Amino acid sequence: MITVNNVYKSFGKNEVLKGISLNVEKGEKLALIGPSGSGKSTLLRCLNLLEEIKYGEVWLDGKLLTPVDPYLHFDVIEKSNTFKKVCAELAQAGTPESEIREKAILKIKKEDLLKPFEGREYRAAVKKIFKENYLNINLARRCMGMVFQQFNLFNNMNVLNNMIYAPVKLKIMTKAQAEEKAAALLKRIGLPDKADAFPSSLSGGQKQRIAIARSLMMNPEVMLFDEPTSALDPEMVGEVLALIKELADEGMTMVIVTHEMGFAREVATRVLFMDGGNILEEGAPEKIFTQPQNERLKDFLSKVL
Amino acid sequence: MNAALLAGFFKNFAKVFTETAYLKMLFKGLETTLIISIGAAAIGLLLGSLVAIVKITPKKNKFMLIPNFICDVYTTVIRGTPMALQLFLMAFVIFAIRGFPNELTAIFAFGINSGAYVAENIRAGILSVDRGQSEAGRALGLNGRQTMLKIVVPQGMKNVIPALGNEIIALIKETSIVSMIGMVDLTAAAKIIGSGQNLATYLAPTAVAALFYLIIVYLLTFAIKLIERKLRKSDNRK
Repeated sequence: MITVNNVYKSFGKNEVLKGISLNVEKGEKLALIGPSGSGKSTLLRCLNLLEEIKYGEVWLDGKLLTPVDPYLHFDVIEKSNTFKKVCAELAQAGTPESEIREKAILKIKKEDLLKPFEGREYRAAVKKIFKENYLNINLARRCMGMVFQQFNLFNNMNVLNNMIYAPVKLKIMTKAQAEEKAAALLKRIGLPDKADAFPSSLSGGQKQRIAIARSLMMNPEVMLFDEPTSALDPEMVGEVLALIKELADEGMTMVIVTHEMGFAREVATRVLFMDGGNILEEGAPEKIFTQPQNERLKDFLSKVL
Repeated sequence: MNAALLAGFFKNFAKVFTETAYLKMLFKGLETTLIISIGAAAIGLLLGSLVAIVKITPKKNKFMLIPNFICDVYTTVIRGTPMALQLFLMAFVIFAIRGFPNELTAIFAFGINSGAYVAENIRAGILSVDRGQSEAGRALGLNGRQTMLKIVVPQGMKNVIPALGNEIIALIKETSIVSMIGMVDLTAAAKIIGSGQNLATYLAPTAVAALFYLIIVYLLTFAIKLIERKLRKSDNRK
């Protein structure tokens, strides 16, 4: 459903993601775990492009969300001037004809192709891929619900308007439909009497449950959770996790960044361990938590479990 | 001795209000002050909002590079030079046209000056809104403009209003320097009334002028408080 291909991201000189590739299948519940600063939140935010990526591509349901990264398309590489130059160099060095193409592609680095002056044919090829596959990010985000660590309810609107503003504004449903759906959702999360309340009068757990309901208003196909319980008082963590688990049981596809190992183990169908901008280990939760292979993961688990 | 001084002050104070010529002059000055202030505030708010919008748009947008540069130069130059100098420049160079109304010159000069401060106030207010708010809006699929107009700006305005009120209050008092280009505003009127040919004492007329300024500023402060209270409604815990 979501495909992340060789994604690099850096903040200034600090490389946060170093070539992450990832595939999220429909119905899958993916948990991202790892120490602070390992890049898991950044990776999640790259999925719906709240962070702009440096290299690589993100695809949603076969649609491209990012600009084309020519490095990932061999037929585009072949049309570039850099490729021709590298081929000529290899031919001069006496490389056999049959191996030139392969070697040249291997030799070209991802940075090489982002410069201008790669030729008209190359530009046309890039443009073609872009035109055929590109999906506007605002459209893509409609089917990707996002839940933040800090809730981020709109402080200037009451709960009801928080929930209905986006779907009504984007003409996904009429106001009456949206209000009906909001009422149903509020009832489901156990806060039917809070429709007129402002976020400042709610507790953290209530805010987060409403934030989840707000995302659900858009009928998302996948939910992204960015440490949904990290900013909550301990006694409120339970109610939020219960709601997320309920969604998971209904078959919602989700990607969860979390420090709640017990929760990850219970809900996730696949767990990814990240550190230093790389995915170091991935697998079924049982395998990750009981038979970790990677030294870094063993160390991490010994500290948090 | 002191009692005599005080009695003299009150006598002159009363004279300012009873002598129709003086009163007329004061109110004429007040009118000038108000016209310049209101006109300048209107221009300042308009210009300031425009400049703030340009300055807030992301730097990635190539079409905004030149407007952005112009706005940067504008705020830097205006905030970096004295108001009196700008007023002189307007009156004796830019609008040095025979028959061009002095009021308009002053309105433009103060409006353009105020715009630079208003722009910075608005920009600061918008930037003070938590980034998470706009991220949440964008994550729901709203575009940048919708997020800005309905989510970020309303919250930013809460922080902008007190600073804007401050700016307008400062503007009203600063208009008193128009006497430097020969206009008679409230301050200048008080000075004329206090001069040797008239009352021959500055104490009473300046006190009256001060009272007028105070009343205007007090009314304005009251209005700003009302607006603020209205905007802060969503912060109240019910």
